[in-house]
Amino acid sequence: MAGNPACERFVPMLSPYVDGELTPAERVNVERHLGACRDCTGRAADLRAESGLLRVGLDMAVDDVDFKDFAQKVMARVTPEKPPLLERLKLALSEMFLYQRTAMVSSLATAAVLVLVGLPLLLSDRAPVGYGAERMTVKSIQPYQDARVAPVVMETDNGGTIIWLVDEETQDGSPSEEDEELEEDIGGGLRGKGKGPKPLGKPKTDVERPSGGPL
Amino acid sequence: MATDDLTLVKRVRSGDQRAFKLLVERYQRKVYAVALGMLKDKEESMDVSQEAFVKVYKYLDHFKGDSSFYTWLYRITVNICIDVLRKRGGGGEVVEFDENQAMDLSEARIGALGSRLGTNPQKSALRRELAEKIQEALATVPEKHRAILLLREIEGMSYEDLARTLDIPKGTVMSRLFHARAKVQKILSEYLELDEAKSGVGSE
Repeated sequence: MAGNPACERFVPMLSPYVDGELTPAERVNVERHLGACRDCTGRAADLRAESGLLRVGLDMAVDDVDFKDFAQKVMARVTPEKPPLLERLKLALSEMFLYQRTAMVSSLATAAVLVLVGLPLLLSDRAPVGYGAERMTVKSIQPYQDARVAPVVMETDNGGTIIWLVDEETQDGSPSEEDEELEEDIGGGLRGKGKGPKPLGKPKTDVERPSGGPL
Repeated sequence: MATDDLTLVKRVRSGDQRAFKLLVERYQRKVYAVALGMLKDKEESMDVSQEAFVKVYKYLDHFKGDSSFYTWLYRITVNICIDVLRKRGGGGEVVEFDENQAMDLSEARIGALGSRLGTNPQKSALRRELAEKIQEALATVPEKHRAILLLREIEGMSYEDLARTLDIPKGTVMSRLFHARAKVQKILSEYLELDEAKSGVGSE
């Protein structure tokens, strides 16, 4: 094997020596031999060099490989069938809270603020302007017997619609007493306090126009 | 701080797919490096690496947790590689070492690697040709010896872990590692000597 007969005993110990796997007593013995044997010192240096060379060489070979889709491909193979929708949602939520807790908390906080601020604004927009922001609902519809009414449809600036029902002119040219009552029933709050739109002079309607008299 | 392997394994068992993806991303490079060192073929190594993770996922319930996750993962990888090598067959080039016989190191040029490369060769200094030579040298080592050498060098596994991973006594680990290193060292020293002669760098 080697010129120095002691090497025969120490050469097999050089590999565990460079790996740090010898007992302290064995280590001391090996180091004592290395101090006296140039060949074994060279062998130990070779082992260290080889170790580094293998590590770096394989690392270099792995560097050439693109692992971008590797995990995706493995995941596709281990989860071929999809769990039920509810299960997926539950899992997605729990995973999001687990891995992106900060992002989730801040997103939820933002959403809460938006709901608290945005919802009242949206709801307030629904009330027509000009009626004290009151919401109007139809309480009841009461057809009058032998009623002769003509609808007057008006559009407000913000796209809302106001329908006035106007009695056709009586013989003497004055509106009937029922007129105001009908407005009340349909509009709820139609009779605004000075802010409401004025009735149009000429209602746009395809029905036969009432004969004579102002609306 | 990164979540430890066992915690991720527990999460996978409770249905957390993302935890398994993290384990894959954590070990994909090293598993591939072991497979490449064993098989020398890039495509085959990629397939084996994927197969190893798929098997790990499939048999995760069998993982007791009394050893580390990575020793279990590497054992699976090495076993798949050995299966592939056996299926390849006709590999008459690989001869098992007689582990009881002392390795004759007299043919190797003592100190050639150490003096040429130092103890910590850098990637920048390492030529691609030499990296390929390393894989060639590895291919000449019997598969079981190669597995030990790769796990030691790539993962830095202790002899205790190697014994557990490959289910062999610690003495066998020591012996196989010694023989594998001697074999690889001889081939690389010869290559470097030849390379030196070619490039006209003076030898002794």
